[in-house]
Formats: sequence, C-alpha cells, structure tokens
Amino acid sequence: MARAVSTRRKWITTVVAWALALLIFFPILWIILTSFKTEAEAISTPPSFLFFDWTTENYGTVQERSNYFRHFWNSVVISIGSTVIGLIIAIPAAWAMAFVPGKQTKNVLMWMLSTKMLPPVGVLVPIYLIFRDVGLLDSRLGLIIVLTLINLPIIVWMLYTYFREIPVDILEAARMDGAALRNEILYILTPMAVPGIASTLLLNVILAWNEAFWTLNLTAANSAPLTAFIASYSSPEGLFYAKLSAASTMAIAPILILGWFSQKQLVRGLTFGAVK
Amino acid sequence: MATQHSRAAARVMISPAVILLLGWMLIPLGMTLYFSFLRYNLLMPGTESFTGWDNYYYFLTDPAFSSAIVNTLILVGGVLAITTIGGVLFALLLDQPMFGQGIVRILVISPFFVMPTVSALVWKNMFMNPVSGLLASLWRFFGAQPVDWLSEYPLFSIVVIVAWQWLPFATLILLTAFQSLDQDQLEAAEMDGAGALSRFFHIMLPHLARAITVVVLIQTIFLLSIFAEILVTTNGGPGTASTNLTYLVYAESLLRFDVGTGSAGGIVAVILANIVAIFLMRMIGKNLDA
Repeated sequence: MARAVSTRRKWITTVVAWALALLIFFPILWIILTSFKTEAEAISTPPSFLFFDWTTENYGTVQERSNYFRHFWNSVVISIGSTVIGLIIAIPAAWAMAFVPGKQTKNVLMWMLSTKMLPPVGVLVPIYLIFRDVGLLDSRLGLIIVLTLINLPIIVWMLYTYFREIPVDILEAARMDGAALRNEILYILTPMAVPGIASTLLLNVILAWNEAFWTLNLTAANSAPLTAFIASYSSPEGLFYAKLSAASTMAIAPILILGWFSQKQLVRGLTFGAVK
Repeated sequence: MATQHSRAAARVMISPAVILLLGWMLIPLGMTLYFSFLRYNLLMPGTESFTGWDNYYYFLTDPAFSSAIVNTLILVGGVLAITTIGGVLFALLLDQPMFGQGIVRILVISPFFVMPTVSALVWKNMFMNPVSGLLASLWRFFGAQPVDWLSEYPLFSIVVIVAWQWLPFATLILLTAFQSLDQDQLEAAEMDGAGALSRFFHIMLPHLARAITVVVLIQTIFLLSIFAEILVTTNGGPGTASTNLTYLVYAESLLRFDVGTGSAGGIVAVILANIVAIFLMRMIGKNLDA
C-alpha cells in the first residue's frame, strides 16, 4: 500500500536519491568513459568528462597486446562450468531435503553452510600443493573443481529455499488423479522448479565470475580468468589508464547486466534465505 | 508420510553433495593441521621434520601477527560501520516514493557486481593516484595539496574501496527488509502522533534488527578473507601497514614458502572465523524452524 505523499516531497526525494545513486555509480561510469579516451586524455588535468575525442582503439589494443579474449573465455568456461556441475550435484540433494525431509535434514543443511564459513586461506597451502603435484595448477579444470566446491553450499541452500516453496499438495492432487511419478516430475514439478534453478544459476555465475582468491592464487598466464588478468595491470607501465578501463569495461559489463536481473535472488542467495 | 523407500532414495540423492563437501573440508584442513606442526619450507624440499608448537609460537609472536590482527579488525570494523549505517540510511531513502526508483536501485546495486581486482585497480589508479587521480584533481580544484592515499593512509584507502563494494549489498538487503514492513502499523503510529524520528527508532529499527544482524555477520565472513583488494593495491604495505590475517598467511606460505608457519596461521584464521560463524549459524538456524 503506497501512502499518499505530496508531490513536492516526492520531487525532493527523487533529486536526493538520484544524486547519491549517481555518486555511488560514478566510478563505474568513469571506467566506461575513460575506456573511450586516448591515454593522454585519460590522465589529463583537469580531467575531461564528455568533451573529448571518443575512440575505440583501446579495445583493439587490449586484445592485441594480451589476447584478451582468451581470458574472457576462461572466465566464461570457469564460471559456467563450475555452476553447471554444482547444479548437477545440488539439485538432487536439495530436492530430497525439501520433499523428503528427515530428522537430520536441518543438521545437514547447517553443516553445509558451515563449510562456507571456512576461510579459504585455511586450506590454501594444501590445495596449492595438491594441485601442483597432480598438474592442476594454472588449469581451467582445477579452478572449476575449486569453485564448484566453494559455491556448492550456496547452490544447495538456494535451491532448497525455492523447492520448499513448491506446494506438496499439488503433488498429492496429481497422484489422486492417477498421474504416474514420471509425469508428476515432468509436468508438475519441473515447471515449478525451473525459475528457482534459473535464479540459482544466475547468482552463482556472478559469484564465480568475480571470485578473486582462488583465481589469483591458482592460475598463471595460461588459464587466468579476467579477475587474474586484470590484476596483471597492477604493475605500472606508463600510460595505461585507458587500456585498463577498456579491459575493465569488458570484464564487468556482462556481469553487471546479469546482476541487474538478479537483485532479488541475490538477497535470498547470500542471506541463505534469512531475508526474503 | 515419507516411506522407507523414499527415505533411502533421498539419502542416495543427498550423498554426492555431502561426500564432496566432506572431502573438501576434511582433507585439506587435515593437511593444514598436519603441516602446521612441521618444519616445512618449499625452498628446502626433503627436510621436513616435526617441530611441535614451534610454528604457532613463531606465528603468534611475530610482530606482523599482532599488526595483522589489528588491521583485520580495523578493516572489518570500518567497512561494517560504513556499510550498515550507510545501508540503513540509503535503504530508508530508496524506500520512499520517487521517480525512476528502478533505475536508482540499479545504479546503487551496481558496484557489488564489479570484480574485486577491477574496483581495486580503478580506485588505486584513476581515483587515488596522487598525480593523475581524480581525487587529486578535486583536491587541486579546491586549492589543497593532493594526497597519496595508498602510501599515506593505506588501510583507510582499502576500507573505502571495500566499503564501496559492500554498501550496495547492505542497502539491497535492508531495502528488502524495509519493504516487508507493515505500512498500517506505521500509519497508526503516525496518527497517534509519533514523530518521524520516534517512528524510525521504535518501529523501523526493531523491524530491521534481524536483517542488520544478517548483514553484519555475512559481511564479516567475507571481510575476514579480503585478499584481492590488498594484493593489487598495496601488497600489504608499506611494511605491514595494510596486511590483514589472510594476506599474512598468503605471504608466509606462497611468498616466503614457509609452509609450516603459513599453515599454523591458516589454522588460527579458521579458529577466528569459526567464532563469527557460530553466531551466524544460530541466526540462520532459527529461521529454518520458522
């Protein structure tokens, strides 16, 4: 229920909110603007905001100098790969816990959550050594394995909170009507579960795309995803703001757009259902 | 309700996830624990020997450890203070009727989706650089001397960068909580003559208490493990001025190749994180019953 508010107050709120929102968003806007400048303009003082010679050459240079798209592709493979494998493992588990809850279900869920609380640095050394010995260092497969495991608890939890909202009564009704189990799953449960699975997929691709502890520690030139590739810009090499911006814009744009669509799921996924 | 048969099937469906997580938790953690009692340096392979509590003694008495603990506390505390207070105010603002609310929400939430290495590098170079950064230009515009943020105030600068990333998260969650607030109750309070401030403190804040707790606890878990932002901005320096516990363990094990001491530090980090985790788990566990 919206409360009646005077137009004047609404305008004041609008102006204040927009000003603050733009301030928060400004660094991102600045990255995008700078990516279209020449390097000289990128560091000019006073800085130029909109009135400069727009150029797209930085995007070409970034690709030429370091094969940007290989790292982009690494990010795609690692984030989608780890999420899909995670879903394949998690869907049956969440399904069973939501529809056939036993005495231990709650304990299992809480225990899974507790593995997420393990600080990564506590297992950094063994994982690094194991990966070194079996040749998984700097490989996409290695990162897919690690990211699947660190995000598995979130995936199970998110799916569980979605599945739990599917009314079991509908199943009973279908059963009364004589639906076979196969049909039950195919025509009734699947359509109801798909939105939850899609949201889980979306949020986990975002989390995996931005993961920056394991990707930095376990990769080198070969399998580095964008998080690690961008980090290689931290060594100053003269004029590079515009190129850094172009590389950054391409790295954050896809996830920014996905993120805008997943605000609600983000709340549910990251609070483990505690805030909806 | 559930039959014997479906119970068994459920167990089979759950077991892959449980076994994988169990392995992920126990095997490396067990190895870390084992290494933490060894003299083990990657530069001197084959010389591993049992040393008892020496690594812990060395790690805990190293001056770098106490400064890392202080830095970790400042980092976590500073970011938490900014994001929760800022988040409550922001959420309150965004909950008011306005034009273009959807777009404002999108703008505010955006920093959360920027990968840590991008936000850290962009802030470091394009904003905090003392010569060509935007803040330097702003300072000059007002006739002030530009500040070399990351060398003069390294920890403060990192707090700012991380807070920029997490403020959207806090805002979004608190806004979600605000939207579930009973409007009738607010109106009733207003009619009974409660002012804006007393409505905020007596109705809104208690309603938000749970969401605020969740925000604080979840952020704490993530903030204890801040790593990328430090690695690409200051490398923990100058000296150890911006080294947190996570970075210290990383430096010990993968920069100085001292696996034994690094592992002892890892175990210390696990213990500290567990203390926070216990509180968080209680909160979420309560919700599961509801």
